[in-house]
Amino acid sequence: MALLEVIGLTKKFVGVVANDRISFEIEKGEIVGLIGPNGAGKTTLFNCIVGYHKPDQGTVKFNGKPITGFKPFQTNRAGIGRTFQIMSISGSLSVSENVMVGSFCRVSDSRTARQEAAEILNLMELEQEAQARMNELPIAAQKRVGLAMALATKPKILMLDEVAAGLNPRETEEMVALLQKIHAAKDLTLFVTEHVMEVVMPISQRIIVLDGGQKIAEGKPRDIANDERVIRAYLGEKYVEGRKH
Amino acid sequence: MPMHALKDALSFGDLPASERIGFAIFIAFCLVFPWISKGSFAQAVMIQFLIFCLYGLGWNLIGGYGGQVALGQAKNVGMSAYTVALFMVWWDVPFWFSTPIGVIIATVESFILGYFLLRLKGHYFAIATICVSLVWQQLFVNWDLIGGARGVELPLKETPNFVYMQFTSPIYYHYFAFVLVMGAILFMNWFRKSRLGYQLRAISANEEVAESLGINIHWVKVKAYCITGVFAGMGGAFYAVYYNYIDPFSVMHLELSIMIALMTMIGGAGSMWGPIIGAMILIPMDRYLGAWLGGSGIVGVDFMIYAFMVMVIAAYEPRGIWGIIEKARRRR
Repeated sequence: MALLEVIGLTKKFVGVVANDRISFEIEKGEIVGLIGPNGAGKTTLFNCIVGYHKPDQGTVKFNGKPITGFKPFQTNRAGIGRTFQIMSISGSLSVSENVMVGSFCRVSDSRTARQEAAEILNLMELEQEAQARMNELPIAAQKRVGLAMALATKPKILMLDEVAAGLNPRETEEMVALLQKIHAAKDLTLFVTEHVMEVVMPISQRIIVLDGGQKIAEGKPRDIANDERVIRAYLGEKYVEGRKH
Repeated sequence: MPMHALKDALSFGDLPASERIGFAIFIAFCLVFPWISKGSFAQAVMIQFLIFCLYGLGWNLIGGYGGQVALGQAKNVGMSAYTVALFMVWWDVPFWFSTPIGVIIATVESFILGYFLLRLKGHYFAIATICVSLVWQQLFVNWDLIGGARGVELPLKETPNFVYMQFTSPIYYHYFAFVLVMGAILFMNWFRKSRLGYQLRAISANEEVAESLGINIHWVKVKAYCITGVFAGMGGAFYAVYYNYIDPFSVMHLELSIMIALMTMIGGAGSMWGPIIGAMILIPMDRYLGAWLGGSGIVGVDFMIYAFMVMVIAAYEPRGIWGIIEKARRRR
């Protein structure tokens, strides 16, 4: 049984079909990438699964149970963690307190939560930043804090939204290494949407491609890189024609 | 768990030494005040200050930590005060029995109202709480059964009476109010380290992210709003027996709600000591200015002074006086 199943998911906004009958499955332990040009419907798909949007049609199943129309806090408690492009709970809380808020999803005792937060900060190599405020940190560290917060809720699957946006090449490389590390350490399933191919290509075992709200391809990274429909979606008709000659 | 909670409430060890010293001075000052103060006016101002500390500490939960500007605390103060007063007038029920009932009524009202209104966000929530307050205020002004605009006078017992909380000397009221405030401070000290405290602060910082971390934001807000109602209810019950007279203008009025919120914001909403600092500045200022200007017939100058203070502080540091203190401390 697949961990996450999306069956015929459709989401319409006024005048736009953002997601058009999208179906796919994610098995436990997989790393799946979700790519597509701007406006392809990646973020909408994420939001439909997590519960920020209510799909117009279709079903989302997690662990075999339907979770369509759940609220975000309910999908999180079911075991779906997510990060945001910009994940600031800055406010009056320090980095370690931010991570504690994640832990409080499963534990009610503040001592346990503090302990868990410390362990996760260790794993994420954020011990130095534990007492800092979010807005004092560089963007790369903020992204790692966002990951740590989501991890603290002990998800079975972690959905990462543009985890490398705004990072330089070296930071991107570190982020990829970190993702592989937490994938191994926490027995996690990862679902990654990304613009930056340097992230998706090396870590994904499977890639799903969206364009204009529809799923146009699905397969191994190497096949996807050579798929004509994908190249057309990304680079345009002319490039494909040119390649043929 | 309960042991841990008690330890959290009693331990101020994580605070900087300067804050602990400040807190100790505050306690010492409150303890000796009745013995060093001259004149009943000063003592009355002091008790007022303590009552407002209680209101402010409670409001700080929803308004400060939770970031939901609720402007209707007066109705909860009023409900509890009226319960205590009317139970005594009608059935001669002592303070210690009517207070729990009053607090429960205030809390239930908070729950029902919060359940619906907390679906609103930002300014809309604030406006809705104002509207509800005005409705309650009008209701109490015009409801003859409970005294209407004339208010309710509590019958006096012949001798000082602990069961009815009637004393001749303000010293008893002072210490009772002090105990209430200390209880509130200890509760807040637990709260800021608790799950609820962290979740509430996460909500006020970013609701979308908070939701993604498994927080049922609506339910957490409702819980916080109810606790705020409990604090207001206790303050109201005390108010009734302290003054022995209540009317809709003293305990039900929107002005009181605004005063509570303003005071906490000036002191520093969302911080442990903010409400106390706010009360320390505003209450004496209000009473002494009122006494001084009231005689000369100039009305409204005190409000101008508040407005000016709010503007200055909001422009310089939105987190109030406590924000200014923290800023200075971080710079060092």
